Amino acid sequence: MIFARWLLLILLFTSSRVLFAQEDDISTYQEEEPEKKLEWNGNLDVKYKLFNMDQNSSLYKLQFLKELPSSSLLSQYSLEPYLNAEYRTGDLGFVLITHASYYSDKNSSFDLFEAYASFNPSFNTNLQAGKKVYSWGKGYAFNPVGFVNPIKDPENPELAQAGLFSANFEYIKSFSSEALQSFSFLAVLIPSLDVTGAQFGELKNTGVALKSSLLFYDTDIDFLAYYSEIKPKRYGFDFARNIQENIEMHAEFSYNQNVERFTIVNSSLRNELVDVYSYLFGIRYLDASNTTIIAEYYHNGSGLSKNEYANYNDFINNGANSLSETIKQQTLGVSQTNFKGQTLMRDYLYIKLSHPEPFDWLYFTPSLYTIYNLTDNSFLLSFQISYKPITNTEFIFWASMFAGKESSEYGGKQVEQRLELWMRVFF
Amino acid sequence: MKTISMFIITVLFAINVFAQDANKLLKEVDDNLMPESYESIRKLINEEPDGSKKEFTFYTVKKGKDKVAMLYLSPASEKGRSTLRLGENMWLYIPSANKPIRITSLQSVVGGVFNNADIMQLEYSTEYDATYSKGTDKEYILDLKAKNKTVAYDKLKMWITKADKTLRKVEAYSASGMLIKTLEFKDDKNFGGGLNRPSVIDTYSPLYKGYRSLMIYQTIKKRNFPDEVFTQNYMSRLGDLRK
Repeated sequence: MIFARWLLLILLFTSSRVLFAQEDDISTYQEEEPEKKLEWNGNLDVKYKLFNMDQNSSLYKLQFLKELPSSSLLSQYSLEPYLNAEYRTGDLGFVLITHASYYSDKNSSFDLFEAYASFNPSFNTNLQAGKKVYSWGKGYAFNPVGFVNPIKDPENPELAQAGLFSANFEYIKSFSSEALQSFSFLAVLIPSLDVTGAQFGELKNTGVALKSSLLFYDTDIDFLAYYSEIKPKRYGFDFARNIQENIEMHAEFSYNQNVERFTIVNSSLRNELVDVYSYLFGIRYLDASNTTIIAEYYHNGSGLSKNEYANYNDFINNGANSLSETIKQQTLGVSQTNFKGQTLMRDYLYIKLSHPEPFDWLYFTPSLYTIYNLTDNSFLLSFQISYKPITNTEFIFWASMFAGKESSEYGGKQVEQRLELWMRVFF
Repeated sequence: MKTISMFIITVLFAINVFAQDANKLLKEVDDNLMPESYESIRKLINEEPDGSKKEFTFYTVKKGKDKVAMLYLSPASEKGRSTLRLGENMWLYIPSANKPIRITSLQSVVGGVFNNADIMQLEYSTEYDATYSKGTDKEYILDLKAKNKTVAYDKLKMWITKADKTLRKVEAYSASGMLIKTLEFKDDKNFGGGLNRPSVIDTYSPLYKGYRSLMIYQTIKKRNFPDEVFTQNYMSRLGDLRK
């Protein structure tokens, strides 16, 4: 019934575009539109999700410990408005990007994704200060060198995210040489917010991130570093290159010192500081039929080994089956705080296939992707269709399933299947 | 034997001169279409068989033979996206992802009949070698062959007016000889600075029956930019050039 209503809504939208289609004269398009210094834009994402929950999953029992739903089928309806403003003159700029999530009047939140000012003293230099998103690394789904990036959702890598409270300075230089074609240097200062409950931080705890980029013999190369007294020190490099006209390859490598790593030892949470390597190799391939394939191998150096994950799994199972509500709460707290994210273990394979406009269906883009855990052979498999029938409107149909043994990372998730329907309207 | 050798040498020389003339004409066609360095605003309209349309507006800057950058001005869903082409290297910047991603010249970023190479096209003489084909009383016809495999179309056939050497039509063919698309150049307009050229490129393809794409140039202005504008770092700031 729910699907029938959605289908009706989509049909109404797609049929209305025919009614509103107009025959315009070319001359109406030949005049330039006036340029505005201040521009507002944004979008509203309306999301309806259906979940088929695994009622035997320990994580499910913990998540709904206060009141178990009577059915395994759950739904979620949410609104996510984005409202953005941009003011630019030749050398000055101000950018504001806001986001809100609304589930009900009692359950809603507001996020300031970005708010920064920029000043370009010249074409070569740029100074920015405020809250800004950085996206370091060449990987599509994962970024081992994303030292200052927000935590990426590998299921939706292009989704807007919250930025970092920082100030940065960038210098760019181009060369006419065939070897070194361009060079840039970016320095980011990240003020500390470590004094709890106050609006102060200790000066000595200010973080510094540096990135130096080259376009060298048609290869993008970055050298990156992050230094802080109170956080892990990180060093890395990445590169990307088109090795043929339809094949791009990329890689990232990072060395991370004093990374806090959590494990379960003798049914208790243990943390240790470790030095780890993380890396990624990937390709993007466009075949003759216009199908794009993205494949990436990701090694998460601070991830759990097979035995460590088994200990964590026992810990979750014991907590879920405990008669004490306090123990259940504590177990859930440890899981949500210290073992969050989509890649808890060490080695993953990400593969995505997308084919725009198959069978000459214009504006349809189906895609299929998987995140495969190479250690325990569990995986997430998703199929997505994006349809943009009219300007500034997008419909997304998105079906996902988690598969693997009950004791595996993806097989043990509280969700077995998930179906999402999105409507996105931009202005 | 000597006569035959002389004949072959004469024919080869004539072919070479003929090809040089054809390439010279191709360069003139390029010069009549665009200044070597410029900024332009153009609208791309994809029309579907039911009459409905999808519109995009681009701000494009170009420098020299192989540097092109393009910013989406509309629609709102695509605004802020930009693409950069440096020779055979091409990147796409998506504001929400906030970083340039390497792409290939064959991928389509707007859907419809155009691909990236159509929208971020370099000069014809940069990518193709020309030879004369049999023309008409009023038009030259050139056969163009791609200089390397990275060029989107292996062969082009080009119609050029004899009177003012203006491009009127291009047919694009695959390596197997299949017609991929036809581009018609029409509605001549004076863009100022001595540039008088077709303002509309009407494109259709036998592969997309009933669909049509129109590229309409609103402005083309000669302008020089520093090389730094054509770097990945500048892709998020391209809009600053218009302020």
